[in-house]
Amino acid sequence: MEEVKIGVYVCWCGLNIAGTVDSEEVARYAGTLPHVAVARDYKYMCSDPGQDLIKNDIKRLGINRVVVASCSPRLHEPTFRKACRDAGLNPYLYEHANIREHCSWPHATDKNRATEKAKDLVRAAVRRVYYQEPLEIKEVPVNPNVLVVGGGIAGIQAALDIADGEKKVYMVERDASIGGHMIQLDRTFPTLDCSECILTPKMTDTGHHPNIELMTNSEVEEVSGYIGNFNVRIRKKPRYVDVDKCNSCGECAKVCPVEVPDEFEMGLSMRKAAYLPLPQAVPAAFAIDKRGTAPCRIACPAGVNAQGYIALISQGKFKEALELVRRAMPFAGVLGRVCTHPCELECERGKFDEPVSIRALKRFIADYELKTEREKVVPIETTKDSKVAVIGSGPAGLACAYDLIREGYAVTVFESLPRAGGLLRYGIPEYRLPKEVLDNDISYIQELGVEIKTKSPVEDLAEVFNQGYAAIFIASGAQGSQKMGIPGEETSGVIHALDFLRMVNAGVDIKLGNKVVVVGGGNAAIDAARASLRLGAREVTVVYRRSRDEMPAISSEVEEAEHEGIKIHFLATPTKILSRDGQLSAIECITMKLGEPDASGRRRPVAVKGTEFTMNVDNVIIAIGQTVDKTALPKELNYTSWGTLEVDPVTLQTHIAGVFAGGDVVSGPADVVVAVAAGKEAAISIDRYLRGVSLTEERQVTPKRVENVSKERAQLKARASTPLLKLDERKGSFAEVELSFDEKTAIEEAKRCLNCGVCSECLECVKVCEQGAINHEMQDEFVEVEVGSMILATGYQQFDPSVIPQYGYKKFDNVLTGLEFERITCAGGPTQGRIQLKDGREPESVAIVHCVGSRDQNYHEYCSRVCCMYGLKYAELIKEFTKAEVYEFYIDMRCFGEAFEEFYKRVSEMGVNFIRGKVANITDRVMGEEERGKLIVTAEDTLLGKMIRVPVDMVILCAALEARSDAADVASLFTIGQRGDGFFLETHPKLAPVNTPTDGVFIAGCCEAPRDVPDTVAQASAAASKALSLISRGKVTTEAAVSYVDESICHGCGRCEEICTFHAPSIIRTDGRLVSSINEALCKGCGACAVVCPTGAAQIKHFNMQEIEGLVDGLLEVHRG
Amino acid sequence: MAEFEPKIIVFACNWCTYAAADLAGTSRVQYPPNAYIVRMMCSGMINPSYVLRAFEDGADGVIVSGCHYTDCHYIDGPVKCDAMFAKLKRLVHILGLEDERLKREMISTSEGTVFARVVREFVSELKRLGPSPFSSLRNSRKEKAVA
Repeated sequence: MEEVKIGVYVCWCGLNIAGTVDSEEVARYAGTLPHVAVARDYKYMCSDPGQDLIKNDIKRLGINRVVVASCSPRLHEPTFRKACRDAGLNPYLYEHANIREHCSWPHATDKNRATEKAKDLVRAAVRRVYYQEPLEIKEVPVNPNVLVVGGGIAGIQAALDIADGEKKVYMVERDASIGGHMIQLDRTFPTLDCSECILTPKMTDTGHHPNIELMTNSEVEEVSGYIGNFNVRIRKKPRYVDVDKCNSCGECAKVCPVEVPDEFEMGLSMRKAAYLPLPQAVPAAFAIDKRGTAPCRIACPAGVNAQGYIALISQGKFKEALELVRRAMPFAGVLGRVCTHPCELECERGKFDEPVSIRALKRFIADYELKTEREKVVPIETTKDSKVAVIGSGPAGLACAYDLIREGYAVTVFESLPRAGGLLRYGIPEYRLPKEVLDNDISYIQELGVEIKTKSPVEDLAEVFNQGYAAIFIASGAQGSQKMGIPGEETSGVIHALDFLRMVNAGVDIKLGNKVVVVGGGNAAIDAARASLRLGAREVTVVYRRSRDEMPAISSEVEEAEHEGIKIHFLATPTKILSRDGQLSAIECITMKLGEPDASGRRRPVAVKGTEFTMNVDNVIIAIGQTVDKTALPKELNYTSWGTLEVDPVTLQTHIAGVFAGGDVVSGPADVVVAVAAGKEAAISIDRYLRGVSLTEERQVTPKRVENVSKERAQLKARASTPLLKLDERKGSFAEVELSFDEKTAIEEAKRCLNCGVCSECLECVKVCEQGAINHEMQDEFVEVEVGSMILATGYQQFDPSVIPQYGYKKFDNVLTGLEFERITCAGGPTQGRIQLKDGREPESVAIVHCVGSRDQNYHEYCSRVCCMYGLKYAELIKEFTKAEVYEFYIDMRCFGEAFEEFYKRVSEMGVNFIRGKVANITDRVMGEEERGKLIVTAEDTLLGKMIRVPVDMVILCAALEARSDAADVASLFTIGQRGDGFFLETHPKLAPVNTPTDGVFIAGCCEAPRDVPDTVAQASAAASKALSLISRGKVTTEAAVSYVDESICHGCGRCEEICTFHAPSIIRTDGRLVSSINEALCKGCGACAVVCPTGAAQIKHFNMQEIEGLVDGLLEVHRG
Repeated sequence: MAEFEPKIIVFACNWCTYAAADLAGTSRVQYPPNAYIVRMMCSGMINPSYVLRAFEDGADGVIVSGCHYTDCHYIDGPVKCDAMFAKLKRLVHILGLEDERLKREMISTSEGTVFARVVREFVSELKRLGPSPFSSLRNSRKEKAVA
């Protein structure tokens, strides 16, 4: 090895270093260190003469190692490396000592110690550089494509500059249109040219430019790679409208039933869920706003789109609403009455006041059809060859048949009883579910083409297959009655609830005695009790072994039963049925108490010894549960230990291929809607089975529940309750008890819906779109692009002044933010440009409050830079278009830009009142007559030195521009920094204002700091030129400080391979043994492999063990031979 | 006798903590000159042997600092650093050094004031603790400047 000759150069940096650190002394000291051949100090090492010192020493003195002690290496290491390289020295034989940022500046108060520390740092650098080795520098080509993130004025300008330079740009915009904040502005100061007029042409250019690929509704998901060679993964969220087909006719918005505040108009007007993002939208296409699935819809086992039909009801579209229910299932009339409505439990409105009456609204549309008579349904054409048999015509069987026939299968339903409907017909009494309603729902299914064969029990599955059916669905229900197993159960006068209800519903004449006891606590028990009352029983008592809380019957049913005079004896269970002369006479019961919870989570009742009591009765109805009646089912099937049919829990297939089962026969007695859901699941399985595709793959799609439903605009309004039949009209009659809403109530109730998901998927828009542009099934798409550089222009957000309670924003109607006022003065805005108060009057006086959230240590300490000027603009516009008096409350007027001061002067001359002072409070508490009906702005006028009260009609808050709330996520995605205030950090505030610490990533516009349009445009063009200059250079050098492996000591253990995030090392076989090999193109030089390497074989070039340990020794002044 | 001035070695990642120290300087935040920064590319690059070397050389305290978990230039360096640090802590304990002499920090680019505070607090903590038991070793090995 040639002799090491180190040159040390200590910079003064003017007085930045030399003011604290004695640079001359440091250089003198450096000259005494081993291997140092020359040590110099100089005023500005980074200047040309400074760099020449190094170059000359290399050339003339044969210096072969260089140390510069100056500012941060993050600033000038590249400068001096280049100087070395220019003089023919490998740049990795250079080391940098940071004696400014890490020494002179933070230790400015102690010159002696700062100088000592600088010596330590130089000594360490000398020690390190001694061990440094020359590295090979490689170059890679730069991909000429550029990614621009953000479609505001900054992004638009940068994209156009690059695209005009004939380079490809991918523009990613989160919203449905580009335009950003600037397109929301009415006019721009100080020239007052309208923002639309100057921006729209640029937006259109961007949309049509052959070199710009615009991706709206899109976000960057993942970034990898390095300068010149980035890979970017972009998520394109669905717009649900095909941009190429949409001709912006607006028919979809006309029929859309859902209204939400229009973000573009700052919530001052409403828009539909199908909407044009802004009048000049680019791309010029409507979009559909979906925020997720409404909780009611997710809660529904049958997947009925409750939000959708409620939205349609709110528009008086009752037929369409019913059509939407029937897209999911055929039982609007039935489930509108007997559903246990899990949807209402989840209803977001319930968190505000009370849940929407979802079930009753469904019933209303079903009743509306009955009242208006529905048109005959056109049968569905059979398009599939296979026939399906369904056994049982209850809710599960019919729901399955209904879904299958709509898929084009021929379906036959076999029913053993004389009429179709199963438990709906024979289990639920008429006062709850009139036969007319059930018949309507069933005949709808039949009219579609489902064949129902009644009185046709099925005994043998093979026979069904022989008849040509390719698949079978068994949904025969749980028809058996559970026995109590107590003495006397077989006495005449004791009847089981299902048998009893079956007879009642079949119209059999039943004679009951005066006193009836019903045992049980489910819906069947309450149904039997209320039916008994209607059949003439005088005294009906329900005996239930647990308490009210555990009762499984629908609570409103229990309440109505009690209204009708039924007594409920809680915590008791029968022990014996007594008879006299073979005739039922009494029932003996025992009192129970609640013990520990059982498997169902309900507390298990335990008998209390010696508490037996008897009740005289004429009839006992037992309703303690239903069982599956195996005798009525085909022989070939398997059963669970519960006595229900055994099926696969997901596919509902039995052990026989092609035979499926669902509903009560599988689940045991359950809600109607659960049975419907099972029927639908079976239909999916049968369709898949018949098409020969997997029954399970990609079957379960979990809908995304909507988050954060806004209740801001909701007004308290009680839930509409359904009218009930009068008590005295119920006796002896099976007339329906619960009645329907009238149209007005239904519409009012439907309007209570918060439209959680925004788009309700009512699909009315699809019907009217002549272009066929709407597709509600669109999904997220992922696009991967390769780019050489990226420009972030993600903009800002407006500070929310409601966090300053004393300013009354959102409390007083006429306290507005700047952006809201922009929309008010805009001719295309919600007031067509008329400056007016909420009530439509023209204001007589307006206060403009500067620095709201800016220059305020409670919120943001920085100045937002644009507020003074747009505050003046507002004053100008108010003066021009109204007779109002204007008050500007300012702290300092900052009118620094071109023609700004002149504008200030002009506005001052218009008679605007300028008050220097920060506003303390905005209140409606008046003092005296002249303040009546006004908002009072109180402030200290710091020029007069006294408190003032100014009564005004309108207040405009010049709210701060702040970093976007997700700026931290974006910063980490692109590996750039943020300042404390959240804005993105530039590499250097003066000399590298659009660069970031990640080479190849540039920033422009308000994501870096608040600024006005001209500055933003200038910065965007600067970022574009940075990207273009990189492209035109065509190549970049790659990181030379990467990992390497000393094969002679590598054991091939694979720990490096395991720890590496970038898959750079791999274990290969060389000369018959395993060793690690590094793929340098993938290595980022993070050094993790060297840490885990047990032998020290893996090391990082330029950061190897000798170099680092040498540096540490040097810092601590330790000498090791 | 002059007041004891502890020597602190800070192993800092280039992207966050080193930049935070730069920011502290640029913002002229003042802190005592006891800390020396060793620039590493990533906190996941810090080898336990470097830290042990610093203690062996007589450092009174060592700070291992890098990015927060979400900011890493190399995606998951801080996680790797945590794993290394857990082992290192046990080693330092076995060597008989006080646990307080070794600190793990996460200081991001924008946290210049945090960097200064951490150094300030560590200096006063080490002053309370007194010189490292190994500092006598350091004096015996002290480099002799060539006259």
